[in-house]
Amino acid sequence: MDEDNKITLGNSKKQVIETEVPMGTVHSAAIEPYRIRLFVEDEVVKDAEITIGVNHRGVERIMEGLPVEKANSLTEKICGICSNSHIWNSVLVAEKALGIEVPERAQNIRIITEELERLHSHLLYLAHGNEVLGHETFSMRLFYIRETVMELLRMIGGNRVQYGVPIIGGVRPRAELNQMKIQKIQEGMNLLEEKISDFAERFVSDPMIMSRITGVGTLKKEDALRLATSGPTLRATGVAVDIRRDMKEYDPFEFDVITQDDGDVKSNLLVRVLENLESIKIIRQAVNHLPEGKITNRSWDMQDTPITKSYIEVPRGKLYHSYALEEGRVRHSIVRTPSIANIGAMQYACIGSHITDAQLAVVQCDPCFTCTDRAIQIIQL
Amino acid sequence: MSLKSYSRARAVHVMLVYTGGCNGCDIEIVNCIFSPKYDAEQYKIFLTWNPREADVLVVTGPVTKHNEKPLKAIYEAIPEPKAVIAAGACALMGGVYKNIHGDIPSEEISGPVDKIIPVDAKVPGCAVRPEDVLAGAVAALPKLLDAE
Repeated sequence: MDEDNKITLGNSKKQVIETEVPMGTVHSAAIEPYRIRLFVEDEVVKDAEITIGVNHRGVERIMEGLPVEKANSLTEKICGICSNSHIWNSVLVAEKALGIEVPERAQNIRIITEELERLHSHLLYLAHGNEVLGHETFSMRLFYIRETVMELLRMIGGNRVQYGVPIIGGVRPRAELNQMKIQKIQEGMNLLEEKISDFAERFVSDPMIMSRITGVGTLKKEDALRLATSGPTLRATGVAVDIRRDMKEYDPFEFDVITQDDGDVKSNLLVRVLENLESIKIIRQAVNHLPEGKITNRSWDMQDTPITKSYIEVPRGKLYHSYALEEGRVRHSIVRTPSIANIGAMQYACIGSHITDAQLAVVQCDPCFTCTDRAIQIIQL
Repeated sequence: MSLKSYSRARAVHVMLVYTGGCNGCDIEIVNCIFSPKYDAEQYKIFLTWNPREADVLVVTGPVTKHNEKPLKAIYEAIPEPKAVIAAGACALMGGVYKNIHGDIPSEEISGPVDKIIPVDAKVPGCAVRPEDVLAGAVAALPKLLDAE
């Protein structure tokens, strides 16, 4: 790549910057391994560069040639936070390619699991954010709220982290909801709504927290759109984009798309808090109107299909899966996770903030470098 | 119990190193120390991110090629006596990532952990349960407390 074609961040690459603060790949301030270089002038970050690649395990390579059912359950191991999103999207690809109808009851159970996962992911984000802020009391309080969600997920899928609910044609028999489980979910939702509302009131009325996070790590709306950012990070800059609005699975449900205007840490945290309440709303509708009937459609035939694509909205944004089927086996698997676009947002959010706020600016975009380490090919434009 | 091991038992610092797993185990381990439900801090087990301060190293993930050197460096930086816990299926045997199709090894993974650094306690599970992590930490403690 020659000098003129280099993608420049801000205007700073051409200036001489005195100090570089490198962090990583394993660093005490960051839980996940990644490398960030902060170019600092007078304690203000002028430029930032995030490098990933140490986590690459090549899941797509392992998927290549596996029977499609096995490959689907392997996608769950891409990420331990949004595992259900990966397996759901991977199953959707096969269902779309083979034209399989999913029973309505199974559809609702999938939605319940996905929204519970969104709850646990957002609560983890808030807890991690508060820990980075230095407010450990809030962090512990959020971890305690999150336990309710984890218990419900364990009840549905049998495991706290990787529950593996969707299979091709429906959901696993283990995930069938009986009257007792439905009642537990309803009770859990009541408890969560109360606790999250309490937390939100306490959070926004805390002057220390508010002064710490207002106007810090601002990501401009134009930058967010230009970088193809997705998910809550984009909605925190005031753009009301949510693929759940376009997914036919979410058609029967009423919910609002939450936006905030500023794109700073405060907007990002508040978007997640308010989205939690929307998720609770969706779960309540799905549980209260759970259709009767079977949960798996087993009358389908395997055939060879061309490459099929599927997009869904996951806790961090837009997730893409695609593969072709050949004799029941997976070919040309591609996975694109939302954080790969959000890395750009993290770099931009750092610029202009004080060096002590840089870590907060990275965390506000909800990084998940584990999912993001995919093999990508850089094409020279 | 000597004075040294008495005082050591009252400040066990755990360092978590993440070497390329799926994040599931890491969150469960952080959860079992921070979450008030499990709350390992009540047993005087604290989470630290500084290897020079740590007594117990908890390793998760199958150790990707890029993470091998940092892991060794972190292990060297921890002062004696030290204990290592390998947590999760990936850390124990490479998990789903170690072999591509039968016995063809993946070129990305150089784990499992006990090939790279000596391991004292092994915690199984995919992902590990917080209760099991606490049990693993307790199993590794005698090595710290009985050391000279």
